[in-house]
Amino acid sequence: MMLLTSCVNSITVEGSSPTPLVKKIPARIGVYYSDTFKTFRHDEKIEQNGTWQIEFGAQNLTFFRNLTTAMFTNVVEVDKSPLDATMLPGLDGVLVPEIKKFGFLTPSVSGLNFFSASIQYRMTLYNAERQKISEWTVVGYGKSEASAFGSKEALNEATMLAIRDGGARIAVELGDQPGIDTWVQSLNPESSKANTELEI
Amino acid sequence: MNRSTEMMPGASRRLRLLGLLSIAALAGCSATRVEESRQSNTGMKTGEALVVLGRASYNDRETEVSFTDCISDSLSGGDDAIRLIPEQAFKDEFYPWFEPRFAPGSASDLELLFSQPGVQDRIDASQVRYLAWIEGDTITTDKGGSFSCTISSFGGGCFGMTYWEEDASYEASIWDLQNLTAAGEISADANGTSYLAGLVIPIPIMARPGNAACKALAAQLKEFLIDEEIPENR
Repeated sequence: MMLLTSCVNSITVEGSSPTPLVKKIPARIGVYYSDTFKTFRHDEKIEQNGTWQIEFGAQNLTFFRNLTTAMFTNVVEVDKSPLDATMLPGLDGVLVPEIKKFGFLTPSVSGLNFFSASIQYRMTLYNAERQKISEWTVVGYGKSEASAFGSKEALNEATMLAIRDGGARIAVELGDQPGIDTWVQSLNPESSKANTELEI
Repeated sequence: MNRSTEMMPGASRRLRLLGLLSIAALAGCSATRVEESRQSNTGMKTGEALVVLGRASYNDRETEVSFTDCISDSLSGGDDAIRLIPEQAFKDEFYPWFEPRFAPGSASDLELLFSQPGVQDRIDASQVRYLAWIEGDTITTDKGGSFSCTISSFGGGCFGMTYWEEDASYEASIWDLQNLTAAGEISADANGTSYLAGLVIPIPIMARPGNAACKALAAQLKEFLIDEEIPENR
């Protein structure tokens, strides 16, 4: 019993990072990834299962690099938050993704036959003048059946699916966020006359 | 020589018992029913491919990965093997449009899917002709009996008898990506009762209705895709 309760389950999440098939926004965007985002790790103790350490910062970073490159025509990584930077030369805006929450359920807790994970992202977009254009929250969810894999593999799969779901929502729903359409049209007034409706 | 001759009847009896136990462990009874509903012509040209997709949902029941793997293995082997594109590779290629949240719910959504940038080009390049969405699961509908195993310094063994009845119900919806229509549906239902008897050693008699449903569904699906004509009485 002492061995069970002191058991530590460590997972470094790995999986594929596909590039989304979406229309690119014609903008030069800086993306700021904080150290917390790059090295995110969730630690949680569950009475029935011991301690879980789930590290997915690196996988998440790789995924978001693919994601942002597919969403905008030009993407550069910046090493400072737009609120700390004195200027944003040559950029139309800066996107700041953050992980606000991570949660997961095991079959022993939920009573169901699968592992599930959810990640809450907060996305903030600043314009070239460092003014906040839009801020929105996206929750990605994933689940994986318990019988197909061992528990670590199942939770790895569920977390990867949550990352993919969150990325999908960010890519597909970007144009629905307040302020985005106006900002895009302000970037290129000439092209906005020819394309009165932006399909994102 | 005499000793080996005297031992033979006992050895022969043990071998026969072992054989019976092996057959009992492997065999099981499952009753399977398959139904097909065809809405359009099908047929596959050389090079055309099929993708088998498990329908994911956010409730507590969804198609098992092992079932879609079984379907894929059955379709890609044997006579008239069908060229398959693996599900995960397909989902990666068309991300995010086949993620659970954004996947098309019906064939009528295909036109919208093909309006997304790059989708038509990738479909043409991969020569995917059909999508087969698999939905369903295998559930335990009844169980009973008692079974236990014990071990002590004097020996051990398993005693008792337990059973469980399973029902496997699955449906395949086939979409034609060339015509952007639903080509038809195939359903397979199987049920069976498995037993576990304890006669010192545990003796399983497995029905495996999920496997029976897989084989039946895959066989009918292969015939459905390869046959071209709608039956005259439709």
